Amino acid sequence: MSTQKKTASGVVQYTTFYCDQSLLGLDISFVQEINRNLELTRVPLGHPCVRGVMNLRGEVVTMLDLRILMGLPKSPNTNRNRNLVLKCEGETFGLWVDGVADILTIDSQDITPAPSNLSLVESRLIRGVYQTENKLVMLVEPRELLAASLTGIRAAA
Amino acid sequence: MFQDDELIQEFVVESSSHLAEVEGQLLQIEAAGADIDANLVNTVFRGIHSVKGAAGFLGLTVVNALAHSLENVLNMIRNRELIPTSPIVNAMLRAADQLRGLVDNVASSNSVDVSSFVNELEAIATSGASESESSGVEAELATVAHANDEVALLKDCDPTPEVVVAVPAPPPPISKKAPSPPAEKPAINQEPGNTQAKQARPADSFVRVNVALLDRLMNLAGELVLSRNQLLSAVSLGAKEGLENIASRVDQVTSELQETIMQTRMQPIGTIFSRFPRVVRDLSAKLGKECSLEIEGNEVEVDKTIVEAMGDPLTHLVRNSVDHGIERPEQRLANGKLVMGSIRLRAFHQAGKVCIRIEDDGGGMDPAKLKAKAVEKGLITGEQASMMTDGEALRLIFAPGFSTAATVTDVSGRGVGMDVVRTNIEQLGGTVDIESTLKQGSAVHITLPLTLAIIPSMIIGCAGERYAIPQSSIAELVRVPQADMEAKIGRVKGAEVLRLRGALLPLVRLDSALGLRTVDEYSERPKSANILVLETGQMRYGLLVDTLHDNEEIVVKPLGKHVKELGYLAGATILGDGYVALILDVVGIAMQCNLRNIESSVKAAISDEDAARADEVHRLLLFANHSTEQFAIPMAMVARIERIKARDVRVVGNQNLLIYRGNSLPLLRVEESISALPPEESLANLFVIVFRIADREVGLIAPILRDIRDIQMRMDSKTLREPGVPGATVIDGYTTRLLDLVELARARHPDWFVSERIVEAIEPEEMPTILLAEDSDFFRNHVQRTLESDGYKVVGAVDGQDAWDHLQTIFDDIDLIITDIEMPRMNGLELAKAVRSLAATSNLPIIALTSLASEDDQARGTQAGIDEYQVKMDPARLMDAVRRMLAKT
Repeated sequence: MSTQKKTASGVVQYTTFYCDQSLLGLDISFVQEINRNLELTRVPLGHPCVRGVMNLRGEVVTMLDLRILMGLPKSPNTNRNRNLVLKCEGETFGLWVDGVADILTIDSQDITPAPSNLSLVESRLIRGVYQTENKLVMLVEPRELLAASLTGIRAAA
Repeated sequence: MFQDDELIQEFVVESSSHLAEVEGQLLQIEAAGADIDANLVNTVFRGIHSVKGAAGFLGLTVVNALAHSLENVLNMIRNRELIPTSPIVNAMLRAADQLRGLVDNVASSNSVDVSSFVNELEAIATSGASESESSGVEAELATVAHANDEVALLKDCDPTPEVVVAVPAPPPPISKKAPSPPAEKPAINQEPGNTQAKQARPADSFVRVNVALLDRLMNLAGELVLSRNQLLSAVSLGAKEGLENIASRVDQVTSELQETIMQTRMQPIGTIFSRFPRVVRDLSAKLGKECSLEIEGNEVEVDKTIVEAMGDPLTHLVRNSVDHGIERPEQRLANGKLVMGSIRLRAFHQAGKVCIRIEDDGGGMDPAKLKAKAVEKGLITGEQASMMTDGEALRLIFAPGFSTAATVTDVSGRGVGMDVVRTNIEQLGGTVDIESTLKQGSAVHITLPLTLAIIPSMIIGCAGERYAIPQSSIAELVRVPQADMEAKIGRVKGAEVLRLRGALLPLVRLDSALGLRTVDEYSERPKSANILVLETGQMRYGLLVDTLHDNEEIVVKPLGKHVKELGYLAGATILGDGYVALILDVVGIAMQCNLRNIESSVKAAISDEDAARADEVHRLLLFANHSTEQFAIPMAMVARIERIKARDVRVVGNQNLLIYRGNSLPLLRVEESISALPPEESLANLFVIVFRIADREVGLIAPILRDIRDIQMRMDSKTLREPGVPGATVIDGYTTRLLDLVELARARHPDWFVSERIVEAIEPEEMPTILLAEDSDFFRNHVQRTLESDGYKVVGAVDGQDAWDHLQTIFDDIDLIITDIEMPRMNGLELAKAVRSLAATSNLPIIALTSLASEDDQARGTQAGIDEYQVKMDPARLMDAVRRMLAKT
């Protein structure tokens, strides 16, 4: 349904969530679900961005730590943590985020290019920035997110 | 470009199944020769005919034309106008191959040129027709008949009640490396004719399912829906009492559903076996050999994934049998065998697994040649080769980079073959082994699991996490109590090893292998060690884990891309409580720890290490008299162990006797001779340890037998010393007293030893001097005491060098040397050589003392100049030998 909107007027719904203090947004069509399923099985010797694997109704799904992906230290556990389950290029994976915020409907015309002062990691992942009255939302490109996490792992291996 | 994809797809699947059978049938037709089996020819004809018909309908002109030519020839054979000779069948086989290639690449089939095949077939048809011109009328009649039975044929051409359903990609086999597409594998068969078959076939993503099975599935799905409805309504009503029934119903339906779905994946192994008659026929013709192939167990069913993955390895093995196994006809004749070599391919079920055996009656393999080859290729060292058994040598053919073919042929012998075969089979969770008798033949034995989706596993715990390890790779479980840790777990060149029944096994701690614990967490080690002895192919090692949980049948779940590439993981599974447990890859963990290197250094060290400790490790019989007191006896002293009834023990005078085999056996009790507690209860059955003293048999009553073990003797020879007890040590937390049976007997029955004393008493003044070299204080003291108690003079030396130093100064006084073999600085063999090399001492008798001497050791000793071997802890025999040797000089 979101894709319908996209074609109609260039308006896309974004799920917004926190990574440390920053507010990030993801195209809602990539988001399969958001839950509090944070019971993980640790994967020894895995890449630091892999927090573990979890049981998502009978499927084993990898959980990635968003903070690590964004080049920050590992997230502490708080009761605001959520599991954002994404499906992108056939791969289902969880994203450990520091809490979720609203769903925003954003017209593509209102998206401005990412500012040039972003770090190298961020600039690859951020497709643009959206300004609300009081907040700045960085819009994440899920495919880049997946690719970045996988290349990080390949490089480490 | 085609009318209907679905229709085309159906055509491909159906035609493929027809064509798959045609090959075997053509071979049978060839075998029958002039004795044409009309039914058989009809079957082939029908198959080709339906391909032709459908192709025509779909506008596949090339397929249609080729099928038509083939059909023509078949028709002539059926009408006995043509005798199916080898060249004719060859042409037909080639055409059938081409036809299959066309069907596999149906989209491009119309642009393929098949005129050469068509022409060839037509030439055969015309020649056949000209030969049978005389019977033209008959032929005409036959054509009419043909037209008639074509109708009849089409009627029963209706396929068996099977439908074709698409199945999702097969679940990943347990090993993550398994599902590599065939094209990526090192090509096992590269015959040009087979290359088409290697390309992904559209038919591979489909599976034929029996309609009855599908109906059953439908029924079960219905049942499941019903149960779900019941469950939902029960839950919404808050009813508690019905829930149990519903739960058990859901349970039952689910298991049945799972089982039935698994069945849809099962396929007869015959689908791959059917290609082998052709393989054997073509290959033996090419090599100028004669082979027959006997196939058994076509109907044995295995998982689709396994059937598919076994195609290449089996082809390779069958080709090997023809190429390397079966000898040339002239050689077979010379060896008194039938000219026709025979290869047997059998599949059967055994103990919940599928076994496949490929046997040939060929030349077999020579273990010595294999070893030589492996040494030449640098796969093993000469030393390793000399230690290998024949079975191990045969298994060398599975080693990477090993090929037995003297020259590389296009048939086999590319040096990847058997290694790849083994890897493929192991990746499927199976095993492969080989037996071979020179000049009589070889047999390859493959064991495969029935299915890959569900694997029985052991759940283990480590650092708070649970992991699954497939049962198939677990050889045994070993628990080492804390008291034994030091004795059982040692270090060789920095790597930990487990001492298991005298062998050293590389030991991997799962927590450190996976970096699960920080250093300070190591201090809280569990009291005892749980070790899984894992075995895969050529590797064997111990894995130390924290806890052992249950065995569970686990369903393998694929892992996401982010963790897939971790070598030690084979997948994940969800346990009963919803927890995700990682499945450990036994080979992967070994690689992770670089175990191959460790293993080789352990192997290299084993000989040194074992040799260095050989004099300390003794095989002891452990028993208890009173349950709190444990005693040990060197097994070398034990003649045998008897189980007797307590009531058979008679007391005569103050002596216990056992009457058996018509003789009376004097019995000793531990508590009679030394300070020990008597047994706390009278048992109905007792054990008697029988040993020999001065040519008489004596029994020691051992009420409770505990164990027979190889134990490193670190004896305390002071604290508990008394006559009969030379020392004590701690085994399994028990203070264990070592018993000297001779002293024990002497303490109780000095009279038994009187005769010896008399012999010795003859020359009391000139008692000989004995040089005793032994590095263990315990043994040196013990032997010295024994010798001195018989009146000998003893010069003790702490090692070979010490003995040699003594000898050089006082060689005139020494009459006999008794030496241990393994000693620091200079060992017993070196000492013996040195003694023999010096003219003044070259005639001195030398007795070697060892714990367990093998024949090899003895031979080496004899070479070095040792006159006699005696077992440690058997004073009676030692004294006997001493007397004998001294009498000689």
